[in-house]
Amino acid sequence: MKTLLVAEYREGKLLGCTSELMAFAKKLGSESVMFLVGSENALPKFAGKLYLADATTCGEYNPGGHKQLLLEVIAKEKPDMVVFSHSSYGWDLAPRLAFALKAAQFSEVVDIVDGVPVLPVCNSKLLRKVTPKTAVTVLTLQAGAFNLTDEPTGSPSIEKIGTAHADTGGNLVFEGYELAERGGVDLTKAQVIVSAGRGIGKPENIEIITRLAQVLKGEYAASRPVVDAEWADHNRQVGTTGQIVSPKLYMACGISGAIQHLAGMKKSEFVVAVNTDKDAPIGEVADVLVVADLKAFVPVLTEKINNL
Amino acid sequence: MQFKLTDEQKMMQDMARDFAQKEILPTLKEDERDHRFRPELVKKMADLGFFGCAIPEEYGGNGCGFFESVLLAEQLAKVSGSWRVPLNMQNIGPSVTVNRFGTREQKERFIPAWVKADSFGFFAITEPNSGSDVAGMGTTATDRGDHWELNGQKMWISNAHVGDWGLVYAFTDKSKKYKGMTCFIVNLKDNEGIVTAPIETKLGLHCSPTGEIAFTKARIPKDSILGEVGQGFKICMWQLNNTRVSCAAGALGIGGGAIEAAINYANERTQFGKKIGSYQMVQAQIADIVAEHEAAKLLVYQAAWLKDQGMPNQHQTSIAKLFASEAAVHATSETMKIFGSYGFSTEFPAERFLRDAQSLRVVEGTSNIQKTIIAGIALGDVENR
Amino acid sequence: MNILVCIKQVPDMESRFKVDEDGTWFDGADLAWRMNEYDEYAVEQAVQLKEETGGDLTVLCIGPERVKETMKKALAMGCDRGVHVVDNESFKKDPFAIASIIAEFAGPKNFDLIFTGMQSQDRGSAQVGVLVAEMLGLPCATTIVGFSFDNGVISVKRELEGGVKAKVTASVPALVTCQLGLNSPRYLTLPNILKAKKKEMLVIPVADLSKTQALEETTSLYFPEKKGTGLILEGDVADLADQLIKILKEKTAVLA
Repeated sequence: MKTLLVAEYREGKLLGCTSELMAFAKKLGSESVMFLVGSENALPKFAGKLYLADATTCGEYNPGGHKQLLLEVIAKEKPDMVVFSHSSYGWDLAPRLAFALKAAQFSEVVDIVDGVPVLPVCNSKLLRKVTPKTAVTVLTLQAGAFNLTDEPTGSPSIEKIGTAHADTGGNLVFEGYELAERGGVDLTKAQVIVSAGRGIGKPENIEIITRLAQVLKGEYAASRPVVDAEWADHNRQVGTTGQIVSPKLYMACGISGAIQHLAGMKKSEFVVAVNTDKDAPIGEVADVLVVADLKAFVPVLTEKINNL
Repeated sequence: MQFKLTDEQKMMQDMARDFAQKEILPTLKEDERDHRFRPELVKKMADLGFFGCAIPEEYGGNGCGFFESVLLAEQLAKVSGSWRVPLNMQNIGPSVTVNRFGTREQKERFIPAWVKADSFGFFAITEPNSGSDVAGMGTTATDRGDHWELNGQKMWISNAHVGDWGLVYAFTDKSKKYKGMTCFIVNLKDNEGIVTAPIETKLGLHCSPTGEIAFTKARIPKDSILGEVGQGFKICMWQLNNTRVSCAAGALGIGGGAIEAAINYANERTQFGKKIGSYQMVQAQIADIVAEHEAAKLLVYQAAWLKDQGMPNQHQTSIAKLFASEAAVHATSETMKIFGSYGFSTEFPAERFLRDAQSLRVVEGTSNIQKTIIAGIALGDVENR
Repeated sequence: MNILVCIKQVPDMESRFKVDEDGTWFDGADLAWRMNEYDEYAVEQAVQLKEETGGDLTVLCIGPERVKETMKKALAMGCDRGVHVVDNESFKKDPFAIASIIAEFAGPKNFDLIFTGMQSQDRGSAQVGVLVAEMLGLPCATTIVGFSFDNGVISVKRELEGGVKAKVTASVPALVTCQLGLNSPRYLTLPNILKAKKKEMLVIPVADLSKTQALEETTSLYFPEKKGTGLILEGDVADLADQLIKILKEKTAVLA
């Protein structure tokens, strides 16, 4: 069994998912090689072979070009599985590659049991096991689903690729990045996060959340619906398309726990959920579930903590 | 017989539910506390076509009938009893009535404005000293040659102090009793002889504005009469028979909203180690209110359907109104009991449902008046119209 | 402009699910069905584009008879015609098989733009849109949260992680997959709901379009084991606050 792990790079940085790809390969018990369109200045800790293309010539978002590079590596390495993170890079590129390989693709894999991938259905209310009808498969892994117990070590042996053809992407033109609004906050470094969900009901109630975050000396955050409603800035969003956080304390207030949100916070050390619905999926990852209306409960809690 | 909603009706129901959840619910608690009426919300409802039911397309009609309006009223009231009222103020009250009795000029002038909510509608019948006894009203209209002069006072009038054009009932000839009453289309704004004031002392329906109107030598143009002089009582009864079904639909909503809350609570709350819904006494409470609610639903839908068919429906409308409002009062009362102490708390919706439901057996003819109508038709003393 | 939007009917995610007799999918009976949330944004964007540029907008949906109800919603939002690919077993088809059906239909029609949701709420594969584009040889931008069209070129913003967006352009014909928050899907109006009734609904048996086999198969569907390790606190808010403070002091360092 051999896996090709596809690492990610953006704007001078290696993205954080590499160790999860390795954790997956380890759990599967397969040997692995890695692929990266990135830079020699930001290499993953990986004791194996790394096929490295230069992002300055091959483009950071250039799915057509990256697909070609991957196909070359695949022709050479003949992996059984090509593994991506289920991220904006992974879910965009994986199906293109799967189609070129005529391979089955399994999206957002949460576990692998005896070599069989497990995928979520209906917001993780259900799980399903799947079998491919193709020899090669392409997988994307849910953020946070696979973790190494120890920090990875080692340096990769690099084989440079993509030097012959700089850009074969063609039909999509990448025009640049648009950064999150200024005054942004790095939630990934916060020790305490108090997060607001749809349950806050209206924009003014975000203050209930910010006030608690303040007395806990932490940051406030929000789930996707709150950000979509423009009740909080996008840079406050926790989840698959927001920030992946791992604070010492995560308080989810009025958050039911959509799969995309859970993926963004389930690595938190201690999770407290405040929700009126005892059966909300957030309860699955919460260490403590307070069954209450946040609008009644949180102000009381804030006051008591403030008076400690 | 056909008991299934069409796909279109289901979509309307979904849309109204969605609208109520997204546009009414988020600020409802504060709006209730501050007795806040939100005119912009009435405009939004108009933009979605809520007020064009049972109106010809040429006057802004949406191609739907009473039945669809009833579906909307039910869904709105499920979230807020106050917010089903605009359906009567813009559409089922003034618009439908002017469409039935008005001249072509009147229809063109007034109906599209109500349907689009460019003009806030109302209808003024009740007075400090006359409620159920409509013909006991004291407001008079006197022919002054080039205009009518209105004198008198109206009370408990929805939209009184926010209203533009609407219907005012007054005696043009008190000596003719029923046959001396006339309906006028009146603009409450910009008339020196008309003063309006809000009534802030209601038990419920806090987001629906209610007020009083005083007419003191108010000059009303000659062409303000709807129908004919002396036709007012007939028009009034015809109109109430329509607004009544919308009120009954509001009862379905308030009762249904309370029942939903009660069921959720009975499933969540545990006492003595079991969810309270597993106790037979709570089950009996739930069974009663659910059964009454389902029966009320069939009655209300039937009454609306009969109206759309142009068939006699006064009997069925009054039965629906009586039964649905009493069922709603019962449902909200049982819900409050199921909620225990939380039912008594203003933090939870049970008490609001209970307060709002109380209005239902008063407005559009009290429960006693409905019984009078039902019995009169049942005994053969009055014809079902 | 000749536009296609592809939608899926999914169960209400609040439903109480049951595993079906085969043990490979959920039981469809007794579920409330809705338009996939992502697809609502796709339909809204497609309708806005049609209103802006004129042209013709087709909505396509694969599934049993009941999906017509969801299609009517798309028609009431402003699509011109529906294409219902009748397939009582669409739930068994994988993203590849579904994409093949759409590509088979769309290929000869030469659509200028195809909109899909970024993923479905039930399967969540996030593959179908991209696969359709690959099959038809179209440029494809996924997960868009911004869209504009000018003179044959689409400019989109792709949502990346951490609030960053990638700005991407492509010439039509092209395909985009729509993320939540792309726009504000409109409420249906009563007149539009009734007008939708009169719009054309083309019915195509799936056999006419299905030329491929699925590349994967679900072998079992099951409920995740309830962890249930969490502590559940209920009662008066003041008591709850005291209990929680005690727990935070014991279990975390944040209230030291």
